[in-house]
Amino acid sequence: MSKLVRSKLIGFVTALVFLAVFLLFPWFANNYLLRLGTTMLMYSALALSWNFIGGFAGYPSFATAAFFGLGAYAGGILQNKGIPAPLAWLSAGLLVLIFAVVVGRMILHLKGHYFAIASLVIADVLREVINGMTDLTGGGMGLNLAALKMGVTQQAQFFYFSMLTVAGFALITTLLLDRSRLGFGLRCIEQNEDAAVRIGINTAHFKTAAFVLSSTFVGMAGAVYASWTGYIDPGEAFEVLISVKPIVMTLLGGAGTALGPVYGAFLFLVLEETVWRNFLNIHSGVLGLLVVLLILFLPRGILQASLWSALGRLGLRMIEVIRRQRPQS
Amino acid sequence: MRARIEQLLRRTLHGLVLATAVFSPLVIAQESVVVGAPLPLTGPLSPEGTKLQRGYDLWVEEVNKAGGITVGSKKLPVKIVYYDYQSNTPKAVQLAEKLVTDDKVDFLFSPFGSGATKAASAVSEKYGIPTLAPTASSVEVYDRGYKNLFGTFTPNDSLTEPLADLVKADAKEVKRVAILSRNDLYPLALGQDFEKSAKKRGIEVVYFDKYPIGALDHASAITQLRATKPDWIVITGYINDLILIRKQLGDQKVKPAVLTMINGPVYQEFVDATGALSNNVTTATWWHPAARYTSEDLFKSSENYTSLFKTKYKDDPDFTNATGSAVGVLLQLAIERAGTIDRDKVRAALVAGNFKTFFGPLSFSPEGYANSYVPPIIQVQNGKSVVLYPKDIKNADFRLGLD
Amino acid sequence: MLSLQILINGILLGGLYSCIAVGFSLVWGVLNIINILHGSMMILGAYTAFFAYSQLGIHPFAFIPIAGVVLFIFGYGLQAGIINRVMGAPVLITLTLTFGLNLMLDNAMLVAFKADYRKVTLDPPLGILELGSLLIPIDRLYAMLLALVLVGCLYAILRATKIGRAIVAVRMDRDAAALMGVEVKQIYAVTFATGAFMAGAAGCLMSVIFPISPLTSNAFLGKAFVICVLGGLGSMPGVMIGGILLGLLESFGTLWLGPDFSTTIAFVVLLTLLMFRPTGLLGKRGFE
Repeated sequence: MSKLVRSKLIGFVTALVFLAVFLLFPWFANNYLLRLGTTMLMYSALALSWNFIGGFAGYPSFATAAFFGLGAYAGGILQNKGIPAPLAWLSAGLLVLIFAVVVGRMILHLKGHYFAIASLVIADVLREVINGMTDLTGGGMGLNLAALKMGVTQQAQFFYFSMLTVAGFALITTLLLDRSRLGFGLRCIEQNEDAAVRIGINTAHFKTAAFVLSSTFVGMAGAVYASWTGYIDPGEAFEVLISVKPIVMTLLGGAGTALGPVYGAFLFLVLEETVWRNFLNIHSGVLGLLVVLLILFLPRGILQASLWSALGRLGLRMIEVIRRQRPQS
Repeated sequence: MRARIEQLLRRTLHGLVLATAVFSPLVIAQESVVVGAPLPLTGPLSPEGTKLQRGYDLWVEEVNKAGGITVGSKKLPVKIVYYDYQSNTPKAVQLAEKLVTDDKVDFLFSPFGSGATKAASAVSEKYGIPTLAPTASSVEVYDRGYKNLFGTFTPNDSLTEPLADLVKADAKEVKRVAILSRNDLYPLALGQDFEKSAKKRGIEVVYFDKYPIGALDHASAITQLRATKPDWIVITGYINDLILIRKQLGDQKVKPAVLTMINGPVYQEFVDATGALSNNVTTATWWHPAARYTSEDLFKSSENYTSLFKTKYKDDPDFTNATGSAVGVLLQLAIERAGTIDRDKVRAALVAGNFKTFFGPLSFSPEGYANSYVPPIIQVQNGKSVVLYPKDIKNADFRLGLD
Repeated sequence: MLSLQILINGILLGGLYSCIAVGFSLVWGVLNIINILHGSMMILGAYTAFFAYSQLGIHPFAFIPIAGVVLFIFGYGLQAGIINRVMGAPVLITLTLTFGLNLMLDNAMLVAFKADYRKVTLDPPLGILELGSLLIPIDRLYAMLLALVLVGCLYAILRATKIGRAIVAVRMDRDAAALMGVEVKQIYAVTFATGAFMAGAAGCLMSVIFPISPLTSNAFLGKAFVICVLGGLGSMPGVMIGGILLGLLESFGTLWLGPDFSTTIAFVVLLTLLMFRPTGLLGKRGFE
C-alpha cells in the first residue's frame, strides 16, 4: 500500500492503542497515578474547551474560570439537595451553557484586549456574587459536599471515568468541529474577521457557538471536580489560574489543532508534578519560567501537524524502537 | 540559534514525558512513625504555614533526639511528610488523600485554618485515620459527627466569653459594641460569637457587618461604624486586614474605650507594622509564652518550651508555633499510652483525653474540639503583649482607652 | 456629616488608585501590552522604600525618585531583553508572557523578603487634617498629590519633549515613526521603563499606607484594569478621572450596599462599560 495510506493506518492503530490505554488505565494504576490521570483528563477537558474559542476562533477568552466555578457550584448545590451526582453534573453543564449564551451576547462584539478583560472579569463578578449568597452557597465558608457512598478505590475509578467521559465529549466535539463548516468558519474568523463577514459567514452566530462550546464541558468538569474533592470555596473555584493554565496547555500543544490541547495538558501535568515535587519553594516561579520560555521559543506549540500524521509519526517511531531491539537480518 | 533552542526545548519536554514512567511516590524507611502534614507554604497563608512548620520541626527534632516515640517496647523515630497545598483548599484535600493512600502515613495533621481542616476531615473519616487539628476553633468544623478529628483549640466562644466578662467587669461604661468581620469561615464565626456574648451581657450591638476578602480600603465602613458611636469595637480578620483597619481607625480618630482585634495583635509583626497604634489593643489567643503549665510531655513545661524554641529560632514562640508542637506532643502521648501505632487504639487514647501538655491540659468534647483549658486574654501595652486573664498567669492590669 | 466624609474618603481613595493606575495605563495605551507585572513592580518599589527607611533611615517621600529609578532600570531591562521579542503579537501572547514573568517576580520576592506583612510606620506620624468634622489623613492627601504630579509630568512629557513625541508617534503608526528615524525598540523600552518608574514611585507611597507583602500584588492590579477602562486608554486625565470615579463608587457603594459588596461594584461597572462603551469616558479610540 502507498506510504500515505500506510502512515494513516498506523496512525489509526496508534489512536486505538491510546484509547485502550485510557480505558484500561484504572486496572493497572495505583491511586496516585489514578489521581494524576483524573487531573490530566480534567486539564484536557479545559484545554480542549478553550481551544474552541481561543484556538479555532482566535478570541483570547479568560472565561474558563467563570464557567468552571459556576459549574462547580451548580453541581455542588444540586447534589446537596439530593440530586444524584451524574444528573447534577449534566445539569450544571446545561446551566453553564445558558450562562455562556447570555454572556456571549454581552461581550462577543468586543475585540482583542477588551474581550480578554471582559472575559477575565466575569469570574470576579461571579465570585463576589456567590460569596454574598451565603445561605445558598456557604459564602466565604465554602460548600461542603456529602461524600459518595462507595469504597475508596471505587470512588477513585468512578471519578476517573467521569472525567474521561467529559474529556471524551470535548474531544469528539473537537474532532467533529475540525471537519465541519462551523470549524471552517471559525478558522476564517481567526484569520480575518472582516473578510469572513464579507464572504457570508454569520460571525455572530459562529462566535457564540464557539463560546458556548468552550463553556459546557468546563462547567461539567467543574461539577465533577466539586464532587471529587468534596469542598469548594469562591476564592479557589474562580481562581484566575484556572483560566490561564488551559491557555498555556493549548499553546504548548498547538492551538487550533485537535489533539494539541490533550498533548499540552499531558505535558503540563508532567511538568507541574515534577516541579512541584522537587522545587517546593519556587514552583510558581518555575511555572512562570516555563510559560515565558514557551511564549518566547515555542509559540506554535509542539504538535504542529495534523492529528493522524502526528499519531502516525509516533507510531512509526515506536515501531522503529522495537525494530532496533531485534538483530538485523 | 533560535531553532536550536526550540529543538532543545522539545527534546527536554519529550524526555520528561518518558521519565514519568519511572514515577513513584516517596519511599520511607520502615520502622518509623510517619505523619502527613499538608501545609500552605506558598500563597496567602504562607506566613501561617511556615509558623506551623516551625512548631512541627521543633517537636520532631526533640523527639528524635531522645530516640523517638516509645511504642510498646521499642522506640520509633518520627518522620513528617510535608506537601505544599499553595493555600488552595481543594488541593489540601487532595494532598491529604495522597498522604494516606500513597505515602501511607500513619497519622495526619490537618491543614491550616478552619475551612481547610473541615474539608480535609472528610478524607480522615473516609480512611479512619486519626487526625490532629492544630488550627481549627470554629464549632462548624466539628459538626459532621466525625470520629477522627481532634483539635487543640477551644471553640471560638472560649475567646469571646472571657473578653465580654472582662469588659463587663472592668469597663462598666461600655454599653455599645460594633463588630466588623472578614467574610470568611473563622473570622465571621468569631464575630457571630462576639455578638452573642455581648448580647448576653446586655451590651447593645449597634453595628455588625462584614468586609470582603482582599478588601483594600475600609474607610467608608469605618465612617459608618463611627457614626454608631460604639464604646467597644471588635474587629476580626487576618493580620493584613487588621493592620490596615487599625491604621484607618486611627485616620478617622476612632477611639473607643476598648478595641479588640483577633488574632493579629499577638504577633510581633502587627506591633511592628502599626507602631504606636498597637497600644492598648486587646486580643485573645489560645496560648502565650507567659503560660505556666507543667506537663508530662517531652517539653516538661511551657517555660521550657519557650526557651527551647527561642534557642532554635531566636524568636519567642507565638500560639501558631506552639499549637504545631502541641499536636506533635499530643500524638506522642496518645501513642505512648496506647502502646501501639494501631489507629483504633490511638484513637481511643485520644478520646480518653486528660493529657497534660505544655500547651495546656487537653481533653476533647465528643465532637473533637478541646474543652479543657482557658485561653488567655492579651493586651498590647507599650509594644509588649501582657496577659490579663486568667488570674494565675495574669501579669498586668487592663488599660482602657486608646491614645 | 456622614455623606461628606464618605465623599472625601472616596476622592482620597481615588487619588491613591490613580497613582496605581497611571503606569499601567501608559504601558497599555502606548505599547498595547496588559502588564500583569505592574502590581508586583509596585510591591518591589514598596520594599525598596521599606528597607531604605528601616535600614538607612531615608524618608519614603524622599525615596520616591530613587525607587522610581530602580524600577526604571528593571523595567528597561525587562522590555529590551524579553518583551520586545513579542511586540506586535496578539494580546494572548503578550498577556500570557507578562503573566509568566509576574509569577517569577512574585516568587523571587517571596523567597527574598518572606511573606510577612511590612509597613512603614513614620515616626512622627503624618497625622490628620481636620476641617470641621471632616477628617483627612495626610498620607492619602500626599498620595493624591503624587498622582497629580505623576499624571501631570507624564502629560507634559508626552506633549512637550522629544522623546514624548517619539512615544506618541510610535503609538500612532509604528512604521511611519521608524521611517522618520525613531528607534522603535528603544522607545518601547523607555515607555515600559517609565511605566515601571511610576509603579515604583506609587509603591514607595503605598508602603506608608498599606501593609505590603508579595501576596498583595494582584489586588492592586484589579483596580488598575477598571480605572483604565473607566477613564479610557490613551488619556492621562482619564486616569485621574477614572481613579477618582472608582474611589467614589466604592465608598458610596459601601454606604448603600454594605462593605461586602464594595468590591463587586468595581467589576460590575467594568463589565457594563465594556459592553456599551469600551473606550471609556475620555478614551480617544478603541483598541484592537
